[in-house]
Amino acid sequence: MSQSQLVTGRQWWGDWAKSRRRILAIARRHAYVLKRSPHRLFDVTVWPLVDVLLFGSLGVFVSRHSGNGSIAFAYLLSGIVLWHVVYQSQIALSTGLLEETWSRNLLNLMATPMTELEYVLGVMLFGMVKLAMGVGVAALTAFGFYAFNVTNVGWQILPVVAVLLTVGWVIALFVIGIVLRFGSGAEALAWGILFIVMPLSGIFYPIQALPWVLRPIAIALPTTHAFAAGRALLVHRSLEWGQVGIAAVGTLALLVAALMFVVAMLSLFRKRGYITRYS
Amino acid sequence: MRATGLVKRFRGEVAVAGVDLEVGSGGHVALLGPNGAGKTTTLFMLLGVVTPDAGSVDLVGYRLPEGRTAALAQVGFAAGYLPLAERMRVREFLRMYADLYGVARPTAAIDDALERFGIGHLASSLGTELSSGQRTLVGIVKATLHRPRLLVLDEPTASLDPEVAMRVRQGLLDLARTDGSTLLITSHDMSEVEKLCERVVFLAHGRVVADGTPARVTASFGRSGLEDVFLHLAAAQPPRADPDATGRTDRFS
Repeated sequence: MSQSQLVTGRQWWGDWAKSRRRILAIARRHAYVLKRSPHRLFDVTVWPLVDVLLFGSLGVFVSRHSGNGSIAFAYLLSGIVLWHVVYQSQIALSTGLLEETWSRNLLNLMATPMTELEYVLGVMLFGMVKLAMGVGVAALTAFGFYAFNVTNVGWQILPVVAVLLTVGWVIALFVIGIVLRFGSGAEALAWGILFIVMPLSGIFYPIQALPWVLRPIAIALPTTHAFAAGRALLVHRSLEWGQVGIAAVGTLALLVAALMFVVAMLSLFRKRGYITRYS
Repeated sequence: MRATGLVKRFRGEVAVAGVDLEVGSGGHVALLGPNGAGKTTTLFMLLGVVTPDAGSVDLVGYRLPEGRTAALAQVGFAAGYLPLAERMRVREFLRMYADLYGVARPTAAIDDALERFGIGHLASSLGTELSSGQRTLVGIVKATLHRPRLLVLDEPTASLDPEVAMRVRQGLLDLARTDGSTLLITSHDMSEVEKLCERVVFLAHGRVVADGTPARVTASFGRSGLEDVFLHLAAAQPPRADPDATGRTDRFS
């Protein structure tokens, strides 16, 4: 190894160590926010519990009054548990940025050496903790109250979870871009946008149940294919790799689009001096 | 730090109209002017937070925006109008910024910085438990944690009582003397400026209208002091839309 390669290697390692420290600092900052804001725990404890109780009980009711009830029960429960993967990852990332705007910390952060990517990675990192909490509560509630065990399917669920997790981040990146452009008035989208995606993704039913006019939109959404794959796995114990592949490709395309959108909005944010909204 | 030909317009309104500013290592410079003169917009462009429409910024040897990360590692920033991040104790807040700036021994650096400004007793307080003056002090401590080469302070003592403001000035001067740090400050308190800075740069209508020692600038306007110069410039500048307001009106609806 040449001297210059050694120097470059050391430089890279030093930069990575600094970068990693900044990412961890942001993750820790959001851990404090969650720790000291009991109402934020609602997202990761109460909502998953309420959702599983609501859809689980609905599933039990339908199963007792319909000939094909056990399928409806499984569709409802598997759908809501998997939905919380999208919900938790999306909410964690988009409210991460909103937290900085609410506490007017954005200017302080932008005047540090931290890059935007490091910030996003820090929030995502802590978002994984919130995801584990939220999905954990949903899975435990499903098991405790309805004997529905999502872990029965084993590791095969991981590709589906990975796609849904990424979709949550993609939606959050679009929300962040819109908030950067339009300000805090757009923050309602952080919660609202998911409820547009939810019915169109067929999380509780095959999309043939949707009005025909909406089916093309549903087919274009990667979440539709991820939920179809997840449902097949949880209900029929077989992973449909074709559906996972379509979902993964769609998610990747949307991720690229979301990143380009955020970079463009950030550039506009700096160009138009929108930081003055938060200073 | 060198800024050349900085121009910034907000919705057609010129906020900064070709500012050239050079501050050498160890200099103590005040950027002054009435509200809407372009001081804060200029500071934001110097920090890379706002992109100039024209002109360039070189900060501690790095050209912005490419060298932003490397440059800002050696720059500290505090503004008297910014609150502390909520739901964090002072020590946690400072630890976060020590990590963001890559401070080598964060615990010792935090203790030193808190003591320098006489607020070691606030280390365990939550941001919401502090007075506005105490929050400003913590913000200044945050800006000095990493012993920056350039310290940019926007209205640093605006919410402080005279005794605390004096302590802050003393702390800043001590730091500047020990580390040879450069200070770039905006303030509406002309007596403070005279105590802290050996050079003042007056902005009006987004342009530099005076640059020199306080005595020379005062003499060039034929006035009795910096405050008199300030009042003279404020009277000459018609009120106009604050760039802040430009941002605030553009809401999602």
